[in-house]
Parts: sequence; structure tokens; C-alpha cells
Amino acid sequence: MRLPRQRVASSTCGHRGLKAEGTVISSQPVRFWVPWLLLCAGCGVFEFHPYELRGMDGDRHARALERLRSEAGDGPLRFAVLGDIQLFLDESGAAVEDLEQRDVDFVVQVGDLTEYGSAQEYAWVARLLDRLRVPSFAVLGNHDVLGTGADIYRRTFGPTFFSFQHAGSRFVLFDSNSREYGFPGNVPDLEALREALAPEPGLFHTFTFSHVPPGHGDFDASLAGPLEQLQAEQGVSVSFHAHIHQFGSEVRQGVRYFVADSLDHRNYLLVTVDGPLVRVEQVFF
Amino acid sequence: MPAPWHLRGLLLALLLVSAEARAESPEDERPWFVPDQAALQLAGSIGFLSAGPGWGFFDDKVEAGLLLGWAPPAVAGEDFLTVTLKGQWHPFRLDWRGWTLRPLTVGLLLSYTFGDAYFVGLPDRYPDGYYWFRTGLRPAVLLGASAGRPVSALGLRLLEGYVELVATDYRLVHFLRNPVTVETGLFSLALGAKLRF
Repeated sequence: MRLPRQRVASSTCGHRGLKAEGTVISSQPVRFWVPWLLLCAGCGVFEFHPYELRGMDGDRHARALERLRSEAGDGPLRFAVLGDIQLFLDESGAAVEDLEQRDVDFVVQVGDLTEYGSAQEYAWVARLLDRLRVPSFAVLGNHDVLGTGADIYRRTFGPTFFSFQHAGSRFVLFDSNSREYGFPGNVPDLEALREALAPEPGLFHTFTFSHVPPGHGDFDASLAGPLEQLQAEQGVSVSFHAHIHQFGSEVRQGVRYFVADSLDHRNYLLVTVDGPLVRVEQVFF
Repeated sequence: MPAPWHLRGLLLALLLVSAEARAESPEDERPWFVPDQAALQLAGSIGFLSAGPGWGFFDDKVEAGLLLGWAPPAVAGEDFLTVTLKGQWHPFRLDWRGWTLRPLTVGLLLSYTFGDAYFVGLPDRYPDGYYWFRTGLRPAVLLGASAGRPVSALGLRLLEGYVELVATDYRLVHFLRNPVTVETGLFSLALGAKLRF
């Protein structure tokens, strides 16, 4: 009995409001339709603007980190790096399914979760990442900044600069979308990065993640050299990026840089950390 | 983004002027540019509330409307001001016990969002063609239905309630590109009232 009733309730959602708009004036119908209207607004069937900031599920990064710490297993550390999602939600869904068969501890997406930076897209991607059995983290990409996108990102994931330590390794996520802000000279924020990369006993590896790779035209040209030098000085193990939609790998100043393919090309990076060894594989699905 | 209040004032003035012009001239002498309807809408991706004048053609089978929409920070987390051009076609009309029903409405709309955070022309910092869409311009398609009846006490030919399912460009693109993942996320709902005078 319960299910049909619930269906009736949701299908009359619009109808009640409609009738009320037509009848107005008397306070009796108002009392009747206002609760329905509020219910409809609450269940997300209304969109006030594509860049609206409401209904985001808060600090996903903090929660992912909490989960990671509570679920820490033994064996080598393993994580996956996913490239641009943008319009490729179905393929990203296939990647999420493929990841079920890999024994990964967590997943990092390296930016461009969305195409337009809209609230609905953030919600779709959050739901997609929720299908993963393991915690996930996401970097801010240039598409994710559009409109109020950066605010939606912060309300969904947390601060755009984020670093954490896990299993003897350090992970730093930062914003390198210099062109989006008109090359202000402090994107990426090298001061924050220098601080986050400060040497600490007990840390064997450091991995950095940002959307636009240094050397690309969308990365502040005046900061590319200093960033590469900083990463080299602080002994970064691997620097992960995306943006180009094409897998790439090269060594600059002794540091390995990877560019993850976009997910429509149906592959991602699988990273295994075994003592001093770091292995990065391109996994096709 | 501070809301340009003068725009809201302008819209109100436009509505008042049109009502005034109506009152003075018999129906067949109305100049074409004087609106013969006004709408008030809730949601539909163009604001929390939007309102504006409209024009009916071919016995109201085809309609055009201009809506100024506002979503206040309290409900949308940020101040959004939009202006929307809406075109609608009602292929059917049923008259039943004093009610006028239009069971199917198909339409197109184009909304423009005010503010520096949204662009219509690509800002200088981007090379040509960097983004293929414009964050400040949002085309959408709509499907709807309406029902109304005359209210002679208010001088209305018809006071109508309508419901619309709005599919904005980005929802359509994602829906067509990702039929598996996006599922029912194609539409958002709009409710409204239309006054035909």
C-alpha cells in the first residue's frame, strides 16, 4: 500500500500548485498548496538557476579522508587517477565499474568534472563518485570554475587547495587553471604549495595533482619554471595532471609528470606504491 | 553581483503602461506592441520568480513572452537576475464548462544572466573558440500544459495556471550524450500563472 500512495503524492506535486495559481485569493487554498510547493522545492524538481548554490552535500574531501583513515588496509598503497569527465559521464560510469575489480584505496579525479560548471552537473558527478566503493577526491578544472562553479566546487568538495597524508605518502591537490583568472600571477599558489611540500620525517613519497599541466598555454608561463623547480627540490615523486585529453608522460628536472587521458578514451591511471617503488599503469576498460 | 533594481522597476512600469493602454483602447484598436498578457512564474531555471509581459498571436495559439527573473541569495545561494525570451505554441485548445484547457505546450526559451561571472562574448583571456557555449546565454526547450477560466471581475479574458517541464541546453546535451547516467535529470519544473487581458 505504501508505494502507490507515495507515487500519488509526487505526481500531484505540480497539479496542486497549478490549481492554486489559478484560484488564488482565498486563504484556504493557500494553506493547502504552500506545503506542496515547499515539498516540491525541497525534492529538487525546481531549478532556480543552473548556477544556483543550494543542496550541495558539503565537505566531501573531509569525509573521504575520514573514510580513508578508518578503512586503511595492509599491503601496498594503490590509487587510481581519473582524467576529464566533462560530457563523458557514461564512460566515467564504466570506469567506476572497472575500478570495482581493482584493489584501490582511493581515487583522485584530476579536474573538469563538469562541462558547464553547473550545479546539476556537480550533482551528477557526485552521484557517480558515490558509486565507488572507495573514497574519492577531485581537483578543480577550468570548466568547473565557470559561472559560480568554483563556489559549487567548494560547497561540494571543500577548499580548492587540499593536502593529506596517507600510508607514508603525501597528496597535494591544487588549482592550476591560471587562464580562468586571467593569469593573476598567484595561480597556482606556489607559496601554499611550498608549505605543503615541506619535508617531514616518515614521508616516503609525495604526489601532486592539478588540472592544467605546467608548460601548457593555460598554465601561467611565469610560474611553470618555478613550479617544476619547487617540485624537484621537494622531491615530488609524481605530478599528475589532465586537461589535454590525451595521455602523456615525461620527466622534467627529475620529476615524472603524467597527463591522464580524458575518460571518453576509456582509460585511467593506476598507481601502485610499494616501498620505494612507484608504478604507474595506464589501464583501459 | 549587485542586482540592478532599475531593471525590475522597468519591468513593473512596462506592465503598468500596458495595463493602462488596455484600459483606454478597445481590443481591436490596440497597437501590436501593447502586451495582451502577463505571466508570473516560479522556477524553470530562469529565477525563483519571474514575471513579464506577453503577446498572443493566431487566437493565442502562438505566444511570445519576455520575463525578468530573480533568484535571491536566500533561496539560490547567490543573486541571479535573468531576462528570458519565451516562444510557445499550443496546438490544441479545449473548452469545457467554462474552462479553457491547453493540454500541450511546446516552446523554446533563451535566457540571459546578468553579471560579470557569465559571458556572452568570450572574455579576452581566452583564445577564439576556447568554450563552445556561453555561460550567460541559456537556450532551453519546454513542454507544458495550462488551464484557466475568465475572471470578469478583474477584467481578465482568462486567468490561467500553467505547468512546464524545462530542459536547458546543458541538461539536453548531457542527456543525449549520457542516456545511462543522466537518467531522468533532463527536466526541471516550472509553475506559473498567466493573465490574459
